[in-house]
Amino acid sequence: MKLKSLITAGMISASALALSSAAFAADKTVRIVGFGASSGVVGIFGQNSGAAMSAAFEKINAEGGITLADGSKAMIETEYYDDRCNAEEGISVLRRIASTDALVAIGPTCSNVAEPLFGILQAKVDDAGDTGLQFPVFTDVAIKGGLAGISEWVFRNTPSEAKMYDDLFAWIRETYPDAKTIYGGVEEDFAHSRFTWYSVMKTAAEAHGFELVGEAQWLLNDTNFSNQARGMRRAEPDVVAISAHPFTSCGMLREMARQKIQPKVLVGLTSSSSLETLSGCANEAQGIIIPTSFAPVNDEAKAAAEAVAAKGGALDLHSAAAWENAMILRDVINAAGIEGTPDTLEADRRKIRDGLAALTTAHGLLGENKRMPDGEAVKPYVFVHAQGNAWEVVHNPGS
Amino acid sequence: MDFYFGLLQIFGVHTLLGLSAYVVLLTGQVSMAQAGFYAIGAYTAGAGTAMFGIHILPAIIVAGLVTAVIACIVGFPALRVKGLMLVVATLAFGEMVRLFFFNLTWQVDRGGELVGPNGAEGFRSIRYFPEHGWEVWHVTAFIWAVVIVVMVALWWVDRTRAGAVLRAVGHDETAAQSIGLNLTAVKVGAMTAGGFIAGLGGGIYAHTVTHIEHGVFGVLLATFAIAYPILGGLGSVFGTVIAVLFIQGFLIEGLRFLGDWRSLLFGALIVLAMNLRPTGLLGEHAPRWFRRRKTGSEPLELKEAN
Repeated sequence: MKLKSLITAGMISASALALSSAAFAADKTVRIVGFGASSGVVGIFGQNSGAAMSAAFEKINAEGGITLADGSKAMIETEYYDDRCNAEEGISVLRRIASTDALVAIGPTCSNVAEPLFGILQAKVDDAGDTGLQFPVFTDVAIKGGLAGISEWVFRNTPSEAKMYDDLFAWIRETYPDAKTIYGGVEEDFAHSRFTWYSVMKTAAEAHGFELVGEAQWLLNDTNFSNQARGMRRAEPDVVAISAHPFTSCGMLREMARQKIQPKVLVGLTSSSSLETLSGCANEAQGIIIPTSFAPVNDEAKAAAEAVAAKGGALDLHSAAAWENAMILRDVINAAGIEGTPDTLEADRRKIRDGLAALTTAHGLLGENKRMPDGEAVKPYVFVHAQGNAWEVVHNPGS
Repeated sequence: MDFYFGLLQIFGVHTLLGLSAYVVLLTGQVSMAQAGFYAIGAYTAGAGTAMFGIHILPAIIVAGLVTAVIACIVGFPALRVKGLMLVVATLAFGEMVRLFFFNLTWQVDRGGELVGPNGAEGFRSIRYFPEHGWEVWHVTAFIWAVVIVVMVALWWVDRTRAGAVLRAVGHDETAAQSIGLNLTAVKVGAMTAGGFIAGLGGGIYAHTVTHIEHGVFGVLLATFAIAYPILGGLGSVFGTVIAVLFIQGFLIEGLRFLGDWRSLLFGALIVLAMNLRPTGLLGEHAPRWFRRRKTGSEPLELKEAN
């Protein structure tokens, strides 16, 4: 009788312990924080990224969350900080995030924030002489080339524009053999658009035999493009490449329509393959060809786009990276065996950094992303063109 | 804790920027050139440490001196005009400086890496602090040491005949001239001092953000520069500090959680503050507790001529 009572008591105790452990596990959380420009001229990029992150983490949590080192499950908590595309604010926001229990940050939006921000991080891991901040940053939007090399704590999931535009101009050369000349238009005071024209588009176009017959420059806040368009009209180019964000791209496209400039091929900046361009100037943008690392071309991409739309955002090549980052971090955390406790915060951050550095491939919405040793990514891409009120795939180099 | 030290760094460099405009405002001149001076200081000090490997202290002093010389040269023609014309002239100078750095490409090889201004892409790798083992609190202490030295110097000047002369010109140029003051010398002197302080501030700023580019030094920064002393009050250097804390600490950092509403509230709260305290948050006089502590001779003040 006594033995039976003891066994019963032991079973009850074990059950209670198991139940309390399960309850405790369900209460466990880890924080992954996003930051970027969610207000101001480029605020829409941050808003879309925030929505994509939120939708992705909601999906992960609904599927059970992440697995910690002890085998227990934890949910992911997230929030999004606005840096207004300002370098000082971006640095302040990252310091704030690093002072909390966040394991890793996803951001920023603007390349002019990313560059100084990466500069305050420790350049080389384990360099005792470098007192830079030791906190992993996984960038989704800031796309200017070569920034991840600034610090070994930085990883980017932005596409390689050099590869995309090289392929695009090769394809244009093949598809439009009569096109010989090119005219460039560049939003001169924005780091990404300027870099992409002078170091990427122009180089790629000339490498594929296009003759540069002129360049027009304007600024992010410009609203009048008549002089630039006049120069373009006089040059009569076969190809016009516009390296500008949706706001001034639309201004320039409207002016080109007004002055009846009709090149055989119109090429746009990666960042302009977005809803903003279509809502701002769908008629004038008809036919513009842009390489992009996101298009809803498969079931997974379509489902992701719907989930983000439900959160009030739109999935484009930038916000799709935020979605992918969330998924990649889930896999890295599951594999890294983090503890998820306040005492192991520094070690957990380091494990995530090392996990990201060790990746050679990562799953993306369009296929496998290659992870490069310098922290950059080479992602699958397609060429889309504006048709009606949507972006349609005009060519898939991977097919 | 590093977050709060980082905030203090921002307060420090913005205080220097505001104090550079404060000196010029004492003479009654509104200068929009401070962002340009700040840029010159930033690029000069950045070049000093990142390109030529000198210590941060001489780098920022050289930056201050170079900026002071340029401010002095600019001051002569610019200060011959007054009021709105001066605003336009100094604004044009600021834009000229910004566009100069927009086009400046000058890089040297440092350890196999090209370092220096690279046109519109900016000036990267100004990493003196982390590369030399400075912790965040070391940097904060350094910045505030510089800020305190500048504040004490300005406070002291304000209590001397030189300060009275600056305020005399600011109150009534004609009266000041009638008692034999050389207006050009006073104004150019103030512009030079303001240039030196802006150069120091810019030099430190470049090292706290590690990367600078032309776009940072635009009209918005110039507006902030004069907004600090005007919002804080011209009575003493403390007005500028209070305004920096109000704008950078409360409006920008404190209201970050408001998201899109922050930008809207930002303007509204500044308008509200200016309406409630039209002569600045601390008014036109030094804080009373400072005046009480003064012993001996009373500060030199110009009584307005009837």
